[in-house]
Amino acid sequence: MDGCSFAVPAGKISGLIGPNGSGKTTTFNMLTGIIPPDDGQVIYRGEDLAGLKPYEVFARGITRTFQITRVFREMTVLENMLSVTGLSVPDEVARSRAEELIAFVNLGHLRAEYGGRLSYGQQKLLEFARALMTDPDLILLDEPAAGVNRTLLQHLLDQIHRLQERGKTIVIVEHDMNVIMNHCEWIFVMDYGVKIAEGPPAAIQGSERVLDAYFGRRRV
Amino acid sequence: MKQHEHIRNLALLAVVGLALAFAPGVLSVYLRSFLLFTMMYVVLALSWNIISGFTGYTSFGHVAFYGIGAYACAILVADYGWHWLPTLGVGAVVAGTVAVVLGYPVLRLKGPYFAIAMLGAAEGTRVIATVWDSLTHGGLGISLPSADTSFETYYAMLTLMVLTVLVAYRVGHSRFGVRLNAIREDEVAAEALGVNATRYKLAAFVLSAIFPAVAGGIQAYKVLYIDPPSVFFVQITIAMALMSMLGGKGTVIGPIVGAVLLYTVQELTWVNFPTAHLIAYGLFIVVIARFMPRGLMGLAIDRGWVRKGMVH
Amino acid sequence: MRRSESGSLSLLAAFLVCAYALPFVVGALTGNVRLAEFWLANLASVVLSGIMQGGVYAMFAVGLTLIFGVMRIINAAHGEMVMMGAYLTWVAFFYLGVDPLLALVFTLPLAFLFGMAVQKVLLNAAVGAPELTGLLITFGLGLTMIYAAELIFTTDFRTIPYAPGTVQLTRTITIGQNRVISFAMALVISVGVYLFLKWSRLGKAVRATALNAEVAMVCGINVRRIYLVTTGLAAALAVAGGALVSIQFGFNPETGVVYTLQAFAIVILGGRGHYVGALIGGLMLAVLENLVSLMVPNGTAMVELAAYGLMIFVLLIRPGGLMGVKEA
Repeated sequence: MDGCSFAVPAGKISGLIGPNGSGKTTTFNMLTGIIPPDDGQVIYRGEDLAGLKPYEVFARGITRTFQITRVFREMTVLENMLSVTGLSVPDEVARSRAEELIAFVNLGHLRAEYGGRLSYGQQKLLEFARALMTDPDLILLDEPAAGVNRTLLQHLLDQIHRLQERGKTIVIVEHDMNVIMNHCEWIFVMDYGVKIAEGPPAAIQGSERVLDAYFGRRRV
Repeated sequence: MKQHEHIRNLALLAVVGLALAFAPGVLSVYLRSFLLFTMMYVVLALSWNIISGFTGYTSFGHVAFYGIGAYACAILVADYGWHWLPTLGVGAVVAGTVAVVLGYPVLRLKGPYFAIAMLGAAEGTRVIATVWDSLTHGGLGISLPSADTSFETYYAMLTLMVLTVLVAYRVGHSRFGVRLNAIREDEVAAEALGVNATRYKLAAFVLSAIFPAVAGGIQAYKVLYIDPPSVFFVQITIAMALMSMLGGKGTVIGPIVGAVLLYTVQELTWVNFPTAHLIAYGLFIVVIARFMPRGLMGLAIDRGWVRKGMVH
Repeated sequence: MRRSESGSLSLLAAFLVCAYALPFVVGALTGNVRLAEFWLANLASVVLSGIMQGGVYAMFAVGLTLIFGVMRIINAAHGEMVMMGAYLTWVAFFYLGVDPLLALVFTLPLAFLFGMAVQKVLLNAAVGAPELTGLLITFGLGLTMIYAAELIFTTDFRTIPYAPGTVQLTRTITIGQNRVISFAMALVISVGVYLFLKWSRLGKAVRATALNAEVAMVCGINVRRIYLVTTGLAAALAVAGGALVSIQFGFNPETGVVYTLQAFAIVILGGRGHYVGALIGGLMLAVLENLVSLMVPNGTAMVELAAYGLMIFVLLIRPGGLMGVKEA
């Protein structure tokens, strides 16, 4: 990444798109403390989060899912949910919240199954539910639609909208343009580590610069 | 787990504990000793399992903590005239401190490199014990004043075992344990979910160091003579690892079953085949590691006899 | 990222300088160091002797680094293979009256076959499995070998009296003849293997597999066969190291444990999977050990500590070692 600046609108669903290798997941990794940025700041609610460890970022109400699912394979779905920290509540309360979320994503019947035995789409749902355990305010979703069938995807998107209605801010990295254009209010476009465009879906759809980046008429 | 299941398990533990408490009255000296060693191995295997099975940081050097506890007891009793019980506490504290100091740098290493570093640490501790003879009498070893300690040490070991089982059980059925498992499965993802991996690993490491240290102290008082090779015996580390693996790393019952089974088999073969049994032991490790890495409990879970996961 | 790369290398270099200075400092403090000609000449002999010994150490480590480089398996039984080499040579010497170096003609092929057998029966299952699996399997194998050796040979220490004289290099510097011969052999063997890996078809196939086994397979390399060759070669190198050790030092079934740790330390220092790194690491460890032995009180026990200490610190400062990438 190279000299990028984003201002994510609060309380809205934003999209982050760009060709492969443009730095989208790296951006997420830097925001969540997995890779420290060499330079620059990450301001959230007036605080600079750059250089904090992932669990410190998490403690401030920011969660994420991963492009290639990272569910805990040798642990059950329920255990995956309970591994989340930041809940200073008694076990029963945590458990009931976990069960609620598991039901939310329609994985109730699999609550005692190993994470590693779930199908890819189910793992994505588990990651999604897991990220919601602490009722975070900023949720970063890395390719939530990849590998998920239509019905499940629609269900997921419905949940995402419901979250947004409750005041959450959501950023989605995606390659599926239907998802991005139909569900995001604001879109950032990256290419080669640089932000090349941002704006509402209509503006992005018509942008030549974006088309260039994706279809490579010119390489800068 | 439902409340009644917990109660059932505790009742089981109580029954076993009571049976073991009354056993010395009816059993021969040999069997008493056998039970004491079995209980010790249960303690060792369960402790090892906390850092290696639950947290996934396989330690090949845990015998260092056992040795520290043994030396703490021996030095304080023989050279300073302490009563043996408080020395167990000292051993635990020293081992815990070493675990923190050692663990902080070493737990940063990944899987097998952690294992190798721990192996080096254990061997290093053995060398230090040999060299620092002003404290440890070096290669000469330490002799404790002779006495019949078999009853006291038996009950001490029994108490230790019950304590260890309770702690391991508590860890295994709590969110703390779930998070240790998460660290084992995917440390990066666990951190993204708020788990301060360094702190949790260190806690697990210290916890896993304390009980072997106490066991070492009790052993020293039982055997009444220790020296570096007998105490920093690499076989002990292997036994811990093998018992946990055989029973099922990462479960609570696994190490218990593994310890009892393996030690019994070991005693039986040693009695009947004094020299060959060591080779059989080595081969056994190879076979388990190669064919049954998830252990007996792993098998039971796969067959559906036991429920998956520890928290239900 | 590049900043921390060179940073950790300089940190490692700084640490190594301190590590080598330490014996001198300790020696000065305990009165073992003297600024007199005879003592300095002695120091020179010791360093030179260390370099020669390093050749042999390199022999043990090179096999280990090959197995790791090609198959990502950590062979915890490597020291036992060295020990096996020492005993095979001993048997050849005492029961068949064969010169230890000549015995290599039999022991090396035998070792190669042994290595292949181990690979086929035990280690094929560990390739691609979590690294711990190979570690545990080889750990068990090593134990079995120790106990088998104890059964056959008892725990008595053995030595092979060979080339007992000394070689006079300058007016004041002398080195044991057996050490010089060992070094020469080690040099010949390691250069030979290096050339094999660099120029021969099979050697190149081994290197290709080490870089990327899947791609190698697609290019028509029989990867299974390469694994057999690698472990066979590693075992042969370990056994050669054992033979060279047997003519210099005493050994018993349990000395293998220390060799394994030394080999680990060398491989980690030099860079896991790096052939030349293992050679350099071997020299460096041997020299350090000799310095410690000379100048630190309780030298012989402290020598073991030197290897462990070196290994742990390298793992903490720069796990990739000298020749590897920072995180390797």
